[in-house]
Amino acid sequence: MSVPLRKVFALASRDYVHEWQMSVCFVLALAAVLGPMLVLFGLKFGIVGAMIDQLIEDPGNREIRPVSSGRYDRSWLESVRRRPDVSFLVPRTRSIAATIELSSEDSSRHVRVELIPSDQGDPMLSPRGDRPEGVTRIVLSRSAAEKLQVAAGDTLDGSLARQYRGQKERVHLPLTVAAVAPARAFARDGAFVSVNLLEALEDFRDGRAVPRMGWSGDRENSIRTYPSFRLYARSIYDVAALRDAFANLGVDVHTHAAEIELVQRMNRNLTAIYWIIAVIGLFGFSLSLGASLWANVDRKRKELSVLRLVGFRTMDIAWFPMVQALYTAILGWALAVGLYLLVAGVINQMMASQLGQGQQVCQLLPHHYGIALALTCAAAVIAAGLAGLRSAHIEPSASLRDL
Amino acid sequence: MSTNNSSQAHPRGALVYYVRDVVKTRESEGVAFRLKVPSLQIAMGEKIALVGESGCGKSTLLDILAFILKPSSVGAFRFRPERDGDPLDMDAYWKAGRLNQLGDLRKRYLGYVMQTGGLLPYLTVRENMDLCRNVLGLAQDGTIEHLAEQLGIAKHLNKLPEALSTGERQRVAIGRALAHRPSIVIADEPTASLDPYAAQKIMAHFMELVEELNITVILASHAWRHIKELGLRRLHHRTFRSEDRNLTETIVSG
Repeated sequence: MSVPLRKVFALASRDYVHEWQMSVCFVLALAAVLGPMLVLFGLKFGIVGAMIDQLIEDPGNREIRPVSSGRYDRSWLESVRRRPDVSFLVPRTRSIAATIELSSEDSSRHVRVELIPSDQGDPMLSPRGDRPEGVTRIVLSRSAAEKLQVAAGDTLDGSLARQYRGQKERVHLPLTVAAVAPARAFARDGAFVSVNLLEALEDFRDGRAVPRMGWSGDRENSIRTYPSFRLYARSIYDVAALRDAFANLGVDVHTHAAEIELVQRMNRNLTAIYWIIAVIGLFGFSLSLGASLWANVDRKRKELSVLRLVGFRTMDIAWFPMVQALYTAILGWALAVGLYLLVAGVINQMMASQLGQGQQVCQLLPHHYGIALALTCAAAVIAAGLAGLRSAHIEPSASLRDL
Repeated sequence: MSTNNSSQAHPRGALVYYVRDVVKTRESEGVAFRLKVPSLQIAMGEKIALVGESGCGKSTLLDILAFILKPSSVGAFRFRPERDGDPLDMDAYWKAGRLNQLGDLRKRYLGYVMQTGGLLPYLTVRENMDLCRNVLGLAQDGTIEHLAEQLGIAKHLNKLPEALSTGERQRVAIGRALAHRPSIVIADEPTASLDPYAAQKIMAHFMELVEELNITVILASHAWRHIKELGLRRLHHRTFRSEDRNLTETIVSG
């Protein structure tokens, strides 16, 4: 025949509201601990998040480049391309042969551009833009397009020369601008072209015949090898493993693995530091809430005795500090979230000029708020449990005449 | 209607309390106090007075009778709240540590008026008076309003206790002890903190109400002259002090 929980709740709530000054103090004390912790976590999450975003956003960070040139044949490259952690791979021809002189009708300038091998799914090119195709369609870098004053769809004249059997030869080939690459794709004058075109140009420079372009020369049938390749890992987290795989194959590669690891290590360290602070903070809060609830039991000894006297059971009484601690937890959490939103807004405003669009220095996800609430409630309930245990052991006869 | 005379004529007719050889010893800082109850029988509907100076053990006895203080040793301690029911062995409850069951008995059968209010400061007068009825799940049937009317506190029903005078608060406490129609009301110097005039008026109201509701009353007071008009049966007690004043012993029987 214990008292219905609804009534215990109602009484504990009335008490909490009646002693609102006390309750406000508890709520403020909690918010004072929790608010800064939320800001701290928001900063950690926001800063590290922005750094990781930057790493992920720039596909250049996923690039893996051989340090020195080697001799890679197609089948070897194909086997690498089929690895699940490789998202893009094209062979490079010799860089000395990978240039061409471009001119357009609108500009009198001749611009020498570097040629970058490309293909379907090139991470440096806009996924919606047109790709280089065949031996005529190329994608210009922003700077080259500006110098030549051309846009997608315009035609260009490409020309290149060679010394062949003591004579200087020059050939021209008509090219079409399929698209202009984003500025970050390539900073210098350059063009993304198909591997086929690069192979043709290399053959021409080497004095070999290129029948499909109508260029004459020697007919040698050697197996083609490539000195280098363009490779992009599936994600920044695959870079380190790929680097190690290449090291095992005896290929020294240049990667951004060090930067990626730095950010990852920073994330780990900041997370560890954050949790140390959070655990100390939450522990301190539980202790202080527990102490005040404990003292509260003393203060309310007579009132609790009265409840005991009118037949409240041990558990009914133990609910009292529990209910009140939950109120403190929820209100304190709400206040802390309010404080956090205010401070985060100010911080983000202050930093807005140094950040990209939509980037935030101080940021929390919805589930972070939920976790904060759950942890706070858990700490409050544990603290209140101890106080509740104590209040349940109140001897009514000893306390009734205290006041 | 009063059952006072009949119960005194037949003390074993329908006993609410049957107490034999109950002892409570308390000791603090080398000073010991001992309450001995060789024999005490209280019949249903009886109005009992326990008179003595403070420190003589009145409150100790009341707390034992209200099941909020565990006796040190017990010959027999039986409680029969319902006329037709079997007597309950309170000693067994205590020995088994069934504090929740003791709480249930208090809730159902006892009303307790403390020396000073003991009202919950966060509840209105109405809610304070309704507390016992509320935890018993009794419906609002006008009992509170009627009681408040009789006690002269009807106009205070929606106020908090802090807005009331000491005397008014004491009336609320009496109202709370009676509202759930308990079988027994235990009152520990309910008017000690009031001026004699107010005390007399409140006690008169109190006695009227318990007569009307046929409730067994156990009342403690420090002066017989305050209550001798109320028609109570006075319990006998003797208090001894040892020569070095380190032991006080009170023997109550009746």
